[in-house]
Amino acid sequence: MAMNTGPDRPEPRRGFDGAGATADDARLACGRMLSGVWAAWEDGASDTHMRTCPHCAQAVQQLRALGAAVREAHGEQGQDWDSSPLTERIMDVVRLELRPGRPLPLGEREEDVWIMEAVAAKSLRAAAETLPGVHAGSCRFQPAASDGNGPARGPVQVGLEVVVPLTTSLPHLAEQIRRQVHLAADATLGLPVESIDIRITDLAVPDSTATATAEAESRPDRAQPERDGSMSRPTNREL
Amino acid sequence: MPGDRRPAPASDVECRLEDGLLAVRAAEGDENAFEALVRRHAPALLRLAATMLGNATEAEDAVQDAFVSAWRRLPGFRSHAAFATWMHRIVINRCLNMLRARRLVADLDAVPEPAAPDHVASPARTAESHAAVRELARSLSALSPEQRVCWVLRELEGRSYESIADTVGISPEAARGRVFRARRCLTEAMTAWR
Repeated sequence: MAMNTGPDRPEPRRGFDGAGATADDARLACGRMLSGVWAAWEDGASDTHMRTCPHCAQAVQQLRALGAAVREAHGEQGQDWDSSPLTERIMDVVRLELRPGRPLPLGEREEDVWIMEAVAAKSLRAAAETLPGVHAGSCRFQPAASDGNGPARGPVQVGLEVVVPLTTSLPHLAEQIRRQVHLAADATLGLPVESIDIRITDLAVPDSTATATAEAESRPDRAQPERDGSMSRPTNREL
Repeated sequence: MPGDRRPAPASDVECRLEDGLLAVRAAEGDENAFEALVRRHAPALLRLAATMLGNATEAEDAVQDAFVSAWRRLPGFRSHAAFATWMHRIVINRCLNMLRARRLVADLDAVPEPAAPDHVASPARTAESHAAVRELARSLSALSPEQRVCWVLRELEGRSYESIADTVGISPEAARGRVFRARRCLTEAMTAWR
């Protein structure tokens, strides 16, 4: 905004949000409106008048003192304030409202042993993360079609999203992840798996917290990666 | 209960993960991932709520309610990478509601609320500075909830008026006006006690 140097600005700021707002504004002894002086200072748009006028300087000083006081008060709040008890209280409530998901079948078809989705997901994510630099996100399951009598006992399809280091051969790494996940599902959990779909959702730059925005798909034969978080299944590979 | 199994707390692995991955996991029912998010974000949210509410107990209530509400709403939440922004907004709205409820009670009872923050306690501070902080808290209680919230977001977080307007649900001009009036009120109070 162009600043004039006369005693009055051509269009003094007023009426921020309707009637009554101007009642709070004040005209300084030099003729400037207080709201305009503060706005100019905040925007770093001080003009020659403001830099030399004692009234404007005083108005700005008041604002700075106010800012300093609140930052001081805010800073004190951080001291000696242990948020661990609060975290415990929050988690106590959360654990009363767990979302374990659906039961997935463990073992043979004729058995009656189940594992909850959320528990299986934790285990498979951890398996993928045994590989250096791999971080797992979404882990979803597609149970076999039910015959109508409760949850189906057939093998499930797994869809796992991962963030991997930028420097690796992606197809090779995806294969390694698939192997680890299969091992965990099959040997550790005893969860029969029909397919494991690995989706790379991000590439992490090594030695940096920055991540690549580009997304890569672990399989070149996949046409359009879905971005809605749902599992893609058309080209699942049998293990 | 004696036989109660205490689940393992968030591990080191989870502490290294980005918000986005943790939020995805939490949305799929992984409470350990959620705990890592709580540990990461609770301190800053607590301080923000305490400045807005001027009261440590209420600030903890606000942050607890906000996180519990987030846990319930996570399955429908899609912008996982923006978890911090989302949390921030939930806490601010919670504070706004608490301030509004407080004012309603004050109007009904016509009793001035006790304004001194109960959590400011550091022996090293001079009595003078204590007085300034206490006075600031008292002056803050004279502001409307919207003025107070807009001003805290502007002053402490340096947020743009557009961003404040978006969070509080008013126009940018209204946010600018609220901040101005809050500053006017507080600088006048400060001038009075200097």
